Amino acid sequence: MYLQIMEQIKQKVAVGEWAPGEEIPSIRMMAVALRISVITVKRAYLELEREGVIVTQHGKGSIVATDPGLGPRLYDRELEEHLEQVVRIGTLLGLNSKQMVQRLRDTASRLNEAQLRDEEFAKENL
Amino acid sequence: MTDLAVQFAGVSKKYPHFTLQDVDLELSTGSIMGFVGANGAGKSTTIRILMGLIHQDSGTVEVLRHTMPAQQAAAKRDIGFVSEDMRLYGALTLAWHMNFIRSIYPQWDQLYAEKLLRRFDLKAEQKIKGLSHGQRVKAALLLALARRPRLLVLDEPTTGLDPVARREVLAELVAVLADEERTIFFSSQNTGDVEQISDQITFIDRGRIIDSANKETFLDRWRRLRLIIPSNAVLPQLPGVIEVGGSARLPVLTVNRFEPAMVAACQDAGVAVQAVDAMTLEEIFIANVQSRREGVIA
Amino acid sequence: MNTFIVTRLILKDWYLNRALLVAAIVTGLLTLAAVAAARGTTIALILGIIVLVTILIGMGAVIMSSMVNERKQQTLPFVMSLPVSYLEYTTSKVVGSLLIFSVLWLALFLGVIATILTTPWVSHGSIPFVVIMLVEILMSTCLIAAVSITTESQGWTIGVTQIGGLALNAIGFSIVRLPGIGNTIRSHTIQWSRTSILLLLIEFGAIALMIGIAFFIQSRKRDFI
Repeated sequence: MYLQIMEQIKQKVAVGEWAPGEEIPSIRMMAVALRISVITVKRAYLELEREGVIVTQHGKGSIVATDPGLGPRLYDRELEEHLEQVVRIGTLLGLNSKQMVQRLRDTASRLNEAQLRDEEFAKENL
Repeated sequence: MTDLAVQFAGVSKKYPHFTLQDVDLELSTGSIMGFVGANGAGKSTTIRILMGLIHQDSGTVEVLRHTMPAQQAAAKRDIGFVSEDMRLYGALTLAWHMNFIRSIYPQWDQLYAEKLLRRFDLKAEQKIKGLSHGQRVKAALLLALARRPRLLVLDEPTTGLDPVARREVLAELVAVLADEERTIFFSSQNTGDVEQISDQITFIDRGRIIDSANKETFLDRWRRLRLIIPSNAVLPQLPGVIEVGGSARLPVLTVNRFEPAMVAACQDAGVAVQAVDAMTLEEIFIANVQSRREGVIA
Repeated sequence: MNTFIVTRLILKDWYLNRALLVAAIVTGLLTLAAVAAARGTTIALILGIIVLVTILIGMGAVIMSSMVNERKQQTLPFVMSLPVSYLEYTTSKVVGSLLIFSVLWLALFLGVIATILTTPWVSHGSIPFVVIMLVEILMSTCLIAAVSITTESQGWTIGVTQIGGLALNAIGFSIVRLPGIGNTIRSHTIQWSRTSILLLLIEFGAIALMIGIAFFIQSRKRDFI
């Protein structure tokens, strides 16, 4: 459950809904608003602080971290997690790293083609 | 040192057909504890001892720094109690009850009471005997909530409520915790409710506390591991395996002390880890109880 | 003792049973009026007084059992959730029910005495005996209250009520035979012999004892629910 909260907050930050340096609701306020336990929210905030997304000032509540590279850094971390997942599953399937990289390339080009096709379609129909 | 709203130490109570044994409990101020157990496990007995309505045979009970049951009158000034078997006076109206409570407790908040009337969809002028079960529960909760007590002790507060009413009650309970000086202790058979709003969770079975921890710890530590054991591999010994289900080649392990290293250990032994599933509180509770009854966990 | 909460609980009980209380008072007054009107013949008077006494005892029992039946109505958890100790709860029940009964009793007591004093052919010497009997009724009602509160059982309460009624007759007959009482009944003046005063003291002592025992038993209870 706390992961969902973390996701929600990270999205708000990445999109810019909550600006760097801006105050976010206190743990208790957030718990009341979401109708869930304080401890779950507390954990989410703790993890977010560890990841550098937010900063908790003692006795004053929490604010979005004022790190300018925050948005890209969030996504960078997510990329890292996904890459680890790819390696684990690839290993389960018995692939070596060269094969995994090939699969990555194949997927990238497949998605690229799809995107180009979409753009063509959009151009023709506007 | 955290402030404790409730503290039980070695509490026991013997009845002809049931014994509550060696109950230890600690509830910090500003948190919610969910108390989970089957029927007859001892939830109501524990709660009544907490309220001073039953005198324990041994052990000490302290509630809001008062010794129970000796100082129960003083303690109850700051406690709001609602139990499932509690009835209000059928021939009288909800409004009479509200006035009655207001005349006794100076902290009664009339505006909040009226807000709760609307939110719970209750009519003050209605006689209690004309209310449905769900409405009666909400009425009793209203009487307890509107006083803004420092401690709320609730025995099955959402049992018998329709989904809408349950949602509103849970929302009100969580809202109580916006004030960090207030605490809630509630028992429930509905593990979904407990999972949603509790900070601390305690399991009770057959008169004994079988587990008590903060909710995230429970949810973190319990996992179901789905494994595939190829013919040349042997399952490694893992600590904290509560239950082994599935088949010999495709076992499903229930563990209560999960570490990511377990996955690596399995893989090192050549066992494939197909999935590591989190468990709901209900699954955790059932696995916990079943294994204790079978004597797996001491 | 927190008199505030005890008062609140007593008022609550009176309010809950207000219809019953009003009915009791009205019935009592009607019976009294009937007795007063019946003083034409001795038999009518005696019958009237017997009816009065029966009603008094009956009312007492009804008041007691309805005031004390929180457990049956399952409202006991609600009451015990209030900031009240078990001692204060017991006090509210004892005081609340006996107070109401005493009002009724006192009204009828004064009424009976007045009737005797104003009825020309009833000897005033009968007054000490009548007083002793009326106090005996008070005593048996205290017993009913004590039993009701400590046992919280309607069965026991009814049982004791029956016994109290029978005992009343038995006691009445035996007291009349006592020399200090029997020979003063027919006199024209009110004479308080030593026997009669002793009997009164015993009765009041018994009332105090029963209430004391009731409180004692309640204080020993460890489980209130």
